[in-house]
Amino acid sequence: MPFLAHGSYRIHYDLAGPDDGPAFVLVNGLTQYADLWGSYRDALAAKRFRVATFDLLGQGASDKPVLFINQADQITMLAQLIEQLGDRPVFLSGISFGGLIALRYAILHADRIAGLVAMSSFAELSPQLLLLGNALRMGLILGGTSYLQDLLLPMNLSDAWLGPLLENLDAVKRQGWLTNDVYALQNLMESFLDFKPLTGELSSITVPTMILNGEFDFLTPRVLHETLRLHIPDSALVIVPRAYHAFTLEKAPLTIDLLCRFAEDVLASRWKGDRSIWIAPDEPGGPFTPFPSDYDHLRAIPAQRART
Amino acid sequence: MSSFLGPLDSAGCVPRQQQTRVAAFLISAHGALARHLAIAMAVQSKGCRRGELNAQFYRESEIVSLLLHATSWVPDLELLLLAPAWEAAWLITPVPDVVDCIEAATIDLAALGHAIHAAIRPAALLPEAVQPQDAFVQALRRIEFESGRLIQAQILFLKSPELLPIRDAVSSAVERRHLQVRRLWCDMLAGIGMQAERAA
Repeated sequence: MPFLAHGSYRIHYDLAGPDDGPAFVLVNGLTQYADLWGSYRDALAAKRFRVATFDLLGQGASDKPVLFINQADQITMLAQLIEQLGDRPVFLSGISFGGLIALRYAILHADRIAGLVAMSSFAELSPQLLLLGNALRMGLILGGTSYLQDLLLPMNLSDAWLGPLLENLDAVKRQGWLTNDVYALQNLMESFLDFKPLTGELSSITVPTMILNGEFDFLTPRVLHETLRLHIPDSALVIVPRAYHAFTLEKAPLTIDLLCRFAEDVLASRWKGDRSIWIAPDEPGGPFTPFPSDYDHLRAIPAQRART
Repeated sequence: MSSFLGPLDSAGCVPRQQQTRVAAFLISAHGALARHLAIAMAVQSKGCRRGELNAQFYRESEIVSLLLHATSWVPDLELLLLAPAWEAAWLITPVPDVVDCIEAATIDLAALGHAIHAAIRPAALLPEAVQPQDAFVQALRRIEFESGRLIQAQILFLKSPELLPIRDAVSSAVERRHLQVRRLWCDMLAGIGMQAERAA
């Protein structure tokens, strides 16, 4: 099991795929661990991408600082991992808290990456997100990791995904429960709640950026992604149909396809962000649909866009 | 070597020898915390902190009592050697560079509590096939659940604004206790045929 070192801390990471292709670096959400990207690793490697996955400080097999976790340390570790990949084009992608880490990295090191994919991400801690984060933290404190999972599963995944697993949810939760420790998750959550807004710095992300937002994302709703779209110059917002916050888990084949197509477009100089808004296909390989220009993409009903 | 207790008997219960060794370790650790908390209450002058120490004392005592009743004990002569080493490890060592000796000892007590509640995850030792109604299984699950709550008092104290000026010394003390507790826990598990990385 390879590790990167940062001071006294060690970060567990894994590399897969050919040594000569462009790379994808995938950054975990708060309660995730690197192995959850297994299907991404295999599929992207088969498409001749080098794939780097890792556990953030405080997660999985990486070291778990006992009292404090600093977001700056996460960025430093991510920078070290990207250095390991050499001079090849690197596409950086993160989900939720991992999206925040990826955004922070891209603000500081836009010249080091070829493209950014921010999934279920945010640059501001809105009142809703702050209160939800505090409530989830309290749930973790009072009920442990298992209760936090009980809160997150119905919030972040669809009935279609949960229904067949209802009788077997304990088994679904078990690996995450084994891998993550309460105190480490609490430290991670506190590092997330100790938030400095990024909006004013987003314009320094000059690389092509695809913003993926689940149609039904409750935890980080569209308005948070809209902030990213409006401030990142070469960005496009892509709405993933019938998807919730954790669509990387629920719709892995589709998300892998979206990542590949984004990277291929960027490498072939076909990518045009233009702060455009798209609806992703329902299935891998399907066509993207431009969001109807007359309608307001921030609404859940087909309300016409206010004229300015 | 397995990361989980077992092999389980035909009723899905953990072998008695493993129950004995794990319970003895946990009783030693939580019993030591209870004793230290009782002393800390006696010397603590702040009323609000004394109330919290009192609550922790009773919950640590409950863990000891629970294990005494829920474990299927068997004679274990190795405990004659192991227990004194464990007990010596739990002795309070005032944190260096802290002038007030009571505060220095209180920080180490909180660091020890943080390590015991965080680094020891007894329920994570249980294999999926374990009998969920078994008293020992329920005890391990309850201890891990309670540890997640008990650690909050240590976190609040160790991260409190009054300790921020000595944050590095506090973090070092907690890391030292984590290393120590993990090592003892892993050694104990290795002694009953387990691979301990996961638990650590």
